[in-house]
Amino acid sequence: MGTHPTPILAWDDLEVGAEAPAVSHKLGRTDLVQYAGASGDYNPMHTDEVAAQAAGLPSVFGHGMFSMGLLGRALTDWAGPGNLTNYKVRFTKQTWPGEVLTTSVVVTAKRDEDGRRLVDVDASLANQDGEVKVTGSATVVAA
Amino acid sequence: MAVERDDVVGRPTGATTVQVERGPVTAFARAVTDGNPVYADLEAATAAGFDAIPAPPTFTFASLGWGAFAEEQPEDPTGGNNPMGEIMGGLMANGGLILHGEQEFTYHRPVVVGDTLHHEGEVVDLYTKESGDRTMTFLVIENRFTDDDGAPVVTERFNLIHRS
Repeated sequence: MGTHPTPILAWDDLEVGAEAPAVSHKLGRTDLVQYAGASGDYNPMHTDEVAAQAAGLPSVFGHGMFSMGLLGRALTDWAGPGNLTNYKVRFTKQTWPGEVLTTSVVVTAKRDEDGRRLVDVDASLANQDGEVKVTGSATVVAA
Repeated sequence: MAVERDDVVGRPTGATTVQVERGPVTAFARAVTDGNPVYADLEAATAAGFDAIPAPPTFTFASLGWGAFAEEQPEDPTGGNNPMGEIMGGLMANGGLILHGEQEFTYHRPVVVGDTLHHEGEVVDLYTKESGDRTMTFLVIENRFTDDDGAPVVTERFNLIHRS
């Protein structure tokens, strides 16, 4: 079970500073409800506008792990599913319905480790005003 | 701080047996906007080199709530006294806010539909930082997922931050 997939990134063509294609997504309240259902995280601050406003918030806000999932999609769209060896983020700001979230993935290093061709990247997610929501890094396997 | 670091590092936060099922994996992929057919279609998955439908990168974080069937669960290693609840609950008794600050996944091999994962959680650090007149308490947890052969699959590390 769990065989490693075929790497799809061409190691020789990758240079430090290269960028993965950006993924953009306008966050809607339906996304929050759908992520709540798929993750089991029904915190009312993400799902119940009335409860969120009663708590003093302008509206419901997005799950941090939705942001990490969206940024993860940018990584796997580029490097192929199953080709990550490490992925970590810090959650810096909340996300709000109506924001357009866009990913940024930039190559920071290439290295050979135990016969595997690894590519380190910085990965982040920001809104339409450039406010960073999630910042982190990942390592992917190339061919 | 009510709980000292040395008293809590190494304490278990839980143990779970998780079945990775196709429906939840596909629903989770859709929920993070990922329409890649490998998460829904076995033919697409095998064409990409998998032997079963794989899970998206952050799926294990959600998996504990999906595939943990009551009759399969191991004995609770916390003895009913989870240090996460003890520490954060104790701090919240004086008010404040709990935040998910950082999340890391280390992948040893892909998680795929049909896997039985054995999860063990453990406290790995506890520390505080002063920020202005507020105290920030950082609780760091590691969640290790292994397969039926005992081989590592995914290791998660995350922190919860209490802000006074």
